[in-house]
Amino acid sequence: MFKNSWPLAMLAVTLAASTARAHEIVGNRFFPATLAIDDPGVTDELALPTVSMLKSGDVPSFKQMDISGEFAKRITEDFAISVAPTWSRLYAPGGLTMNGARGFQNVETLLKYRLFKNDEHEFVMSAGLEIEWGGSGAQGVGAERFNVYTPTLYFGKGFGDLPASMNWARPFAITGQFGYSIPGVSKVVTATVDPDTLEQDIDTEYIPRVFNWGATLQYSMPYLKSAVVDLGLPDFINRLIPIVEASFQTPVSNTATSGTVTTGTINPGIIYTGKTYQFAIEAQIPVNRQSGTSVGVIGQLHFYLDDIFPNTLGRPIFANNINTGRPMFGR
Amino acid sequence: MRSIIASIAFLFAAAGPVFAHAHLDRASPAVGSTVTPAPKEVVLWFTNQLEPAFSSIEVRDEKGASVQVGKAVVDRSNRTRMSVPLKSLPPGSYKVMWRVLSVDTHRTQGDFSFRVGP
Repeated sequence: MFKNSWPLAMLAVTLAASTARAHEIVGNRFFPATLAIDDPGVTDELALPTVSMLKSGDVPSFKQMDISGEFAKRITEDFAISVAPTWSRLYAPGGLTMNGARGFQNVETLLKYRLFKNDEHEFVMSAGLEIEWGGSGAQGVGAERFNVYTPTLYFGKGFGDLPASMNWARPFAITGQFGYSIPGVSKVVTATVDPDTLEQDIDTEYIPRVFNWGATLQYSMPYLKSAVVDLGLPDFINRLIPIVEASFQTPVSNTATSGTVTTGTINPGIIYTGKTYQFAIEAQIPVNRQSGTSVGVIGQLHFYLDDIFPNTLGRPIFANNINTGRPMFGR
Repeated sequence: MRSIIASIAFLFAAAGPVFAHAHLDRASPAVGSTVTPAPKEVVLWFTNQLEPAFSSIEVRDEKGASVQVGKAVVDRSNRTRMSVPLKSLPPGSYKVMWRVLSVDTHRTQGDFSFRVGP
């Protein structure tokens, strides 16, 4: 029974292990780093650690804890590379032997390029290619031996350009991502021998191509204070961004053994934005039985390296001399 | 694990003073406020020190006409403070547009409105 549910476990692992994050400033708008999906930001940053805990949707269900990190480095102003390792602990009855397991997931790298940015309309769009390097992790926690390639489009839109009559809505923003995961192999064939009958059993698992999609809805208290109305609230409140994230995975082809059920979670939470870091915590609410059997939690500490090391680690390797920027307003 | 934590701690300790992007901290007149009588200047305070040569404020009325007098000035004794004097403002809505370069070379920009009451 557990064996048949392993592909779903893989989807859950992919869900939990996708920790590539970013933050971005577009005109008036600050898009914070998000936890469940990646945002369109291209910048220098360090997310360490991201910790999540969720009971899987497998049968039988098991508790899984992931601790991950991500380091992103800009090569140019609009192009960045990031690397994200994840360490997992699967509590019994999880893992290949159902006795639990622990170890690293496959390492993920992300190449991301900012395609378009419009300050006036607080809109930004990026494209990326995420690669999960097969064989770099422990098979005991579900790390596969093959690569997975996920080209993805990211976008962010702030609503600061709404008319003054809708001032209350201007701090809202949405972000989203649409990715398509392409495994390096189409199937994995496993041969086992029954110790009693000595008969050979051939098990074929088809590896699906998966549509990874998700979005966030966020309300920025920093935006409210600095661009709409300063209500004189405490500084702590003015640094909060309440957020709801949604992240889904839908197998779309080669689904003979995986099925086509969409899995995912909806994550209500809150982000506190400091001067050089942010802290976020969210609940993870599974959207169906296959996505998890109880509400999980995910938290992240995230550092803005472009602010902490503005002249060294936090700037693009090939950067323009920003100090010679164009004077403004015709001066 | 301890060595990793120690390495990260050293890395951040070696960063020296932290500057970060210059975001708008507060303003006078306050963001979104209605004031009476009309202000004689707009003053902005930022979360980081500014480069005067590449930092500016523009104030416009509802028709888009500039209502400031001269250029914005960054306070020499407090480089997080920038101000621009205004013409005599009749009642109405005004938009403040700012664009700054922080001392660590990060550009930021923004805008907000305030009203002058009758």
